[in-house]
Amino acid sequence: METNFLEQLTELLEMETTVKPADKFREYENWDSLAYLSLISFVDEEYGIVIPRDEFGKMNTVQDIIDYIKNNS
Amino acid sequence: MENPFSLDGKTILVTGASSGIGRQTAISCSRAGARVVLLGRDETRLQQTLAAINSPDLHLVYAVDLLDYDVVGKMLKEAVSQVGSLHGLVNAAGISTTLPLKLLSPEKMDHFFRTNVHSAIQLTKLFIKHAAQNNDGASVIFLSSVMGMVGEMGKTIYSLTKGALIAGARSLALELATRNVRVNTISPGVVVTPMSQSAVYSQDEESLNRVKSLHPLGLGKPEDVANACIFLLSDAARWVTGTNLVVDGGYTAR
Repeated sequence: METNFLEQLTELLEMETTVKPADKFREYENWDSLAYLSLISFVDEEYGIVIPRDEFGKMNTVQDIIDYIKNNS
Repeated sequence: MENPFSLDGKTILVTGASSGIGRQTAISCSRAGARVVLLGRDETRLQQTLAAINSPDLHLVYAVDLLDYDVVGKMLKEAVSQVGSLHGLVNAAGISTTLPLKLLSPEKMDHFFRTNVHSAIQLTKLFIKHAAQNNDGASVIFLSSVMGMVGEMGKTIYSLTKGALIAGARSLALELATRNVRVNTISPGVVVTPMSQSAVYSQDEESLNRVKSLHPLGLGKPEDVANACIFLLSDAARWVTGTNLVVDGGYTAR
C-alpha cells in the first residue's frame, strides 16, 4: 500500500519529486486548502476512510497519514 | 374552507424514500392526504418509512434500482393497476460527494450523471405515461440543490448534475404544459440527513460550523423541503411550472 500511496500522493499534490514518509506535508510549497481537500477526498475514495479535521490537525508527516489509514482500515 | 395545499385524492410517487428528504416527503405527503408509492434501494429502510406513515395499508413500496429501467417500468405498471393514475412524482433519489477536479474520472462522472440525472429523466418518461389527465393535471419535482446554482470547492460533479436538473426542468415544463403536467425543481441548502451527515464537511466541528454560518436561518430539516414539495404537488401551485424553488435558509441570499 505504502509505495502506491506515495506515488498517488505525489501526483495528487503535483509534486516534482516523489513524496517521502518523513516529509512534513504542511511545509510543501503547494500545500493549501485545495491540497487538503484533495487529500481528504482521495483517502475517502481510495480507502473509504474519512479523516476528521481534528485528527488531521494532529498529523505532521506523510507517515502519520499512512499510519492513520492502516489503523482505521 | 377548502385547503388548497391538501393532497387528498392524489397519488404521489416518491423516489429515494428509504431515507432523508425522500423519506420525509413520503411521510409528509401522506399526512397531507396523499396515497404514496415509495421507491428506494433498501427494502428494510423502505418498510421503516412505511411504518412512520398513517394507514400503511393504503400505500405501496417497491425496493428497486432506479437504473434498472425495465424493472422500474414493470413495477410502475403494476402500481398503476392497483392505485390508478398518478398525480405527482418527486425525484428525490440522489448521491453527493466532494471531489476536486483531479479526482473526477470518467467513470465517476458517468456514475453521478446516471444516478442523479438519467434515472430521474427516465422515470419521468415512465410517469408521464401513467399521469392523471384530469383538469388538475400532474406535477413533477426534481430535487436539485443550491449547488446547482452557486459553487463550492470540490462540488463540481455534484453541481453539474444538480444544475442539469434545473436546466432540463425548464424545457420539460414547456414540453409537458400541453398535457397539463407541471415540472419544477427544488433547490435546498444543507439539510440534516444521513447524506449530509456523511459528507466531509460534517466530520468535525470546525467544518460544520462553517457550513452552518453560511445558512442565516441555520441548517434545514427534511420537513422544510417536504413542505415545499407539498406546495408544488398541490393544486395551490396549479399555475407554477418551469421554476426553481429555493429552500436554503438564506444560503444564496448573499
